[in-house]
Amino acid sequence: MAEIVDAGGGHGKGDGKVRAKKMSTRVDMTPMVDLGFLLITFFMLATTMSKPTSMTLNVPDKQEDKKEQQTEPLKASKVLTIFMGRNNDIWYLDGVAADDDNAEAALKKTTYGTGIRDVVFQSKTRINSQNPKDEAGNDPFVVVLKPTPVSTYRNMVDILDEMAITKSKRYALVDELTESEKKLLGDRVVPQPE
Amino acid sequence: MGKVRPKKHPPTTDMTAMTDVAFLLLTFFIMTATFKSNEAAEITTPTSISGIKVPDENIMIISIDNSGKVFFGVDAQATRVGMLENIGQTKGISFSDTEKAKFAQNASFGFPLNQLKPWLALSNEQMSAVKQPGIPVDSTGVSELADWVYAARKANPQLRLALKGDQMAKFPVFKDVLTNLQSQNINKFNLITGTEQPPSGWTVD
Repeated sequence: MAEIVDAGGGHGKGDGKVRAKKMSTRVDMTPMVDLGFLLITFFMLATTMSKPTSMTLNVPDKQEDKKEQQTEPLKASKVLTIFMGRNNDIWYLDGVAADDDNAEAALKKTTYGTGIRDVVFQSKTRINSQNPKDEAGNDPFVVVLKPTPVSTYRNMVDILDEMAITKSKRYALVDELTESEKKLLGDRVVPQPE
Repeated sequence: MGKVRPKKHPPTTDMTAMTDVAFLLLTFFIMTATFKSNEAAEITTPTSISGIKVPDENIMIISIDNSGKVFFGVDAQATRVGMLENIGQTKGISFSDTEKAKFAQNASFGFPLNQLKPWLALSNEQMSAVKQPGIPVDSTGVSELADWVYAARKANPQLRLALKGDQMAKFPVFKDVLTNLQSQNINKFNLITGTEQPPSGWTVD
């Protein structure tokens, strides 16, 4: 393919001098381009472009040998409890304790994404306006996140992300359900044989 | 007298510009390429709006795949060898140099200790074809993950820990891993996630 284009010079006015034919310096670059794009394709496919990010999760020390710190129990009216259930469902109790008489009626269902975001925002506004700030100047609003055995890792990451989005500073990840919560949620959190 | 025909030239395009672009792109992709390493399991991570980058070096990754199997991996090959030596010492298993070299080739692995030696005896092709059972993490029964983390940290004390879970992994497995790590007094975790755009109007504090 690397053709040399005949420039067609050399026919002078007939003075008999034989001039050397002028050669064109043009090189056909098609194979080089082919190779170039082949390599580009390879590197594009072999590269992992989106670099993963990471979110930090700090869990409290187990305090096995340390003395249990005495803290005031949380008032249920200041707490939004979120249970992560089966099939990406969220059950939540807004300011109601699980052993309350009307807990059954207060237990509501929502979804990940905008559903739970609205719930958190509403609850945050309501609780923060009804309760004064504590001595340290923190907002009274507290979220308790309860992943259940039927929830997935994605659910947990989503809900932690939701805490970052709604800027809820005080939240706790608690992986054990209390007896009254188990009774309240019933079959919703019991793993079913597949 | 024949007709005067114009001399036929084959149509040629000047490809210099195209070559320039092609090689510019090629250079870019070669420079930025980080190759996919030999991972034990395919994991689809969930996404988050977090903007913290995962560190490139001095990192150990605990992976949980969608069926709940746990894998462990360290970035540097030298650390992998050191880790294997350490765990061999504590558990009374000695590994040969070829076994160590083979072990170092794998970015992550998921075998109980007693099945590790038979796996390392296989050829390279067979090694990648074998289905890995995962490292036992049962919080009540046998658990080896904490031992591996300890061995890795002994080999390189600067190692940071990252957790990479599949989005479909069930929560109890994650809880078991957490219990394992807390027994080693590790209370700070990096959860590896994909990138997601924060909702409009959201700003970092």
